[in-house]
Amino acid sequence: MSAVGRIRDAFARAGAGSMRLLGASGQLGYGIPSPAFNAGLARNPHLIGCDMGSIDIGPSYLGRGEMATAPAATRRDLRKVLVAARTHDVPLVIGSAGSAGARPHLQATLDMVRDIAREEGLRFRLGVLHADIPKERLKAALRANEVRGVDGMPALTEDEVDACTNLVGQMGTGSFQRALGEDIDVLIAGRACDTAIFAALPAMLGFPLGLSTHMAKIIECASLCCVPGGRDTIMATLDHAGFNLESMAPNRRATPVSVAAHSLYEQSDPFSLQEPDGRLDLSQAHYEALDDRRTRVSGAIWHPSSAPWVKLEGARRIGERAVLMCAAADPGFIARADEILTAVAGVVRDLVCEDSEEDYSLFWRVYGLNGVREALPADAPLPREVFLLVECIAPTRERAAEVVRTTKQYLLHHGYPGRLSTGGNVAFPFTPPEVSLGTAFKFNVYHLMRAHDLEALFPLEIETL
Amino acid sequence: MLLQDIALVVRSKNAGPRRLTLDIMFADDAAYARAVASGVLNAGRIARLYDVAEQEIDIIPYPIGRAIKISLPRKVTAGDPGDRDVYGAQQHAPLLGIEI
Repeated sequence: MSAVGRIRDAFARAGAGSMRLLGASGQLGYGIPSPAFNAGLARNPHLIGCDMGSIDIGPSYLGRGEMATAPAATRRDLRKVLVAARTHDVPLVIGSAGSAGARPHLQATLDMVRDIAREEGLRFRLGVLHADIPKERLKAALRANEVRGVDGMPALTEDEVDACTNLVGQMGTGSFQRALGEDIDVLIAGRACDTAIFAALPAMLGFPLGLSTHMAKIIECASLCCVPGGRDTIMATLDHAGFNLESMAPNRRATPVSVAAHSLYEQSDPFSLQEPDGRLDLSQAHYEALDDRRTRVSGAIWHPSSAPWVKLEGARRIGERAVLMCAAADPGFIARADEILTAVAGVVRDLVCEDSEEDYSLFWRVYGLNGVREALPADAPLPREVFLLVECIAPTRERAAEVVRTTKQYLLHHGYPGRLSTGGNVAFPFTPPEVSLGTAFKFNVYHLMRAHDLEALFPLEIETL
Repeated sequence: MLLQDIALVVRSKNAGPRRLTLDIMFADDAAYARAVASGVLNAGRIARLYDVAEQEIDIIPYPIGRAIKISLPRKVTAGDPGDRDVYGAQQHAPLLGIEI
């Protein structure tokens, strides 16, 4: 019998018991502290879950098909949770494989899982859910007027769809349930709602979907809902009226305020969460201290949706990126930085565009003045030093390198009124100070698509290892 | 008193690549009540500080978390050319000096 089958069987026989879910890691691949993880395993959990991805990391990972986490660290974390889940014969659920959850991310994750299974002598049934959206499927939805931009994203065109290097949809709890229904031990999904990781199995066992989803939303971030917040493993104990939260690290306390405040994290609205299969309503949620490090949560309401909308994420190439890194300590240069940089950009343009068109974009970020925010407040004193990050995005790697190398030379020697430092305007921490950063991407799809075919959209494969 | 002296947490982060969310959290109910009652954390003030249209700003008091949530559009989609803060994690600074 599979791990999922064993748990379903146990709950069917025992009736309405409580369920223990272990949120092992909020971001698999950045390390799972062993003491808290092992403390969680000692409590005999019914499920181990890990989120592995996010859209917050920006478009490059999705566009390139590469993981954000280091391979060695990712492999270490995967080994830790796979060995634990198989040793304890507990279902393991991992969502948004490989940071962005498209085919190359999922394949890279599965390659690691297969290697680990072989090396550790683990045998299990693996469910794999794919999140890639066929371009023709999205184009058909566009023609049927069933696509909406999220948060003012511009209307999508078929050309933009074709330009995507990777295109995924966020699958929800329903897709995970379909996989868990196939008597598996381990589930690895491409891009997914983080709630699906932890809400799918309890909902199948008859626990209320609202409570399950609220719990899932909290424990997918491990102990981030605690004071002090952190990445240690967390345990939720779910019953039919609520759930209790307890960090598996003794110094992290889940308090009513810290848990309630977690609903603010990376969300626009702390009272409402939109999922593909429905909406989570937290306006009646209640948080109550059990003791000084455990909190009980109740009151979440689930409003199912009859016409699911799936959130899509796509990225496209926009060119090749090169940067120049340098710094300045001359007060005259710092006071006139804006004017100097504009003049240098003009000189560079005239040179590199002598026999070709202006086919690149140049961006300045002067740290100390406007690196993080667009402008320094009017009354702020000038900084003693500034760091200059000069970025070029051009059609080719060679063109981007040409622009930043030319910029380096003319920035170094640009004459400006009142200049005293005729040896050079900028300091280089090392040479070469120019770096090619490879292909640059942008999100060109961040849209909702109406989907009546969730099952076909997120196909399931079963593999026996 | 300045917001940075009365708040427990003042943070910013993306809420998706197109919006920024600012959370201001307080250590106790009195500090939260004082900040809400002051009325200075209003859409007009945030619109000026962040140079976005007032009607695109949402301000949600969240007493259960002793927090005020503000969400507003990002001027540049996260990771687009010219972005300065892909995660949006350092856009809270203009709030710190607000007089409560």
